[in-house]
Amino acid sequence: MRTDPPPQLPGGVARIPQRDEAELAARARAGDRAAFGTLVERFAPQARRVARAVLQNPDDADDAAQDAFLSALVKLEQYDPRRPFGPWLMRIVANAATDRRRRRAVRQAEPLEPELAGGGSRPDLEAERRVLGERLRAALAQLPERRRLAVVLFDVEGYSHAELADILGIPEGTARSEVFHARRTLRSLLQDWKEEG
Amino acid sequence: MKESSLPFDHRADPELGAALRAALEPGDPAPFVARVLAQARLARARRHEVPTWDILARWARAGITAAAAAALVAGFAMGRAIQSRATPDDVMVASAGAGANALLSSPRAPDASVVFTSLVERDR
Repeated sequence: MRTDPPPQLPGGVARIPQRDEAELAARARAGDRAAFGTLVERFAPQARRVARAVLQNPDDADDAAQDAFLSALVKLEQYDPRRPFGPWLMRIVANAATDRRRRRAVRQAEPLEPELAGGGSRPDLEAERRVLGERLRAALAQLPERRRLAVVLFDVEGYSHAELADILGIPEGTARSEVFHARRTLRSLLQDWKEEG
Repeated sequence: MKESSLPFDHRADPELGAALRAALEPGDPAPFVARVLAQARLARARRHEVPTWDILARWARAGITAAAAAALVAGFAMGRAIQSRATPDDVMVASAGAGANALLSSPRAPDASVVFTSLVERDR
């Protein structure tokens, strides 16, 4: 389905070869705990980030990511080994996160601390990153959920528009549009932050 | 970071991607992975663990099946037995010898030797 497979994810993390994923999934389905463990290790950071894009709260996001892995383990027989494992899993993660958000009262992103929100003094690099992180999370929280997922899956996790469409269950054109609008908002925020600096 | 982007831009934005990745970074993965694997083990164990009521229900099902089978066999055997039981006419036809005639036509109670003779004749 992917037409332009990037050799690496944006963060420099190499993609897992599809054959390897399929083999691991088949072994996990047959009850091989080590194979399931390997899949969890490889996809845990990605699943947690995607869940956090939906839920904001890190604990809720981890709970949703865990639900997704357990659900994937049960549904492994539905996985088509001819297709990449990541989009299949991320669809489960996105659904688990959305379900959890619906079940619980939506926790709003915690308000920024005054010194962070106001672009106050930035004593060191770590504090700068913290400020930017807070701002980005707050900006993400303002975006519609599908748009949030779209930009994180595309720009952070390196999925193609076609894969995004598959994960989110929307037409590819809509997926492109969601990424475009999310980027416009987030880039403007990044630009402001740079100019403040 | 690119200042503008076309809707059909198929390339990821590395700067925005890195900033978002840092903002969403979940931290140390080891405890999370351990937690998921422990839950998976528990879920597996729960799936293999059969509740007492299920065992009793399984026994009940087996008992009902066995009783039904026994009733079927008993019914079949009784049916065979009823079918194979000889009618008085069958006895008459089969016992066409002199002993039998004497036994049936005599107005007196049968003598044991006559009954025995009729049986011997029938078996020949």
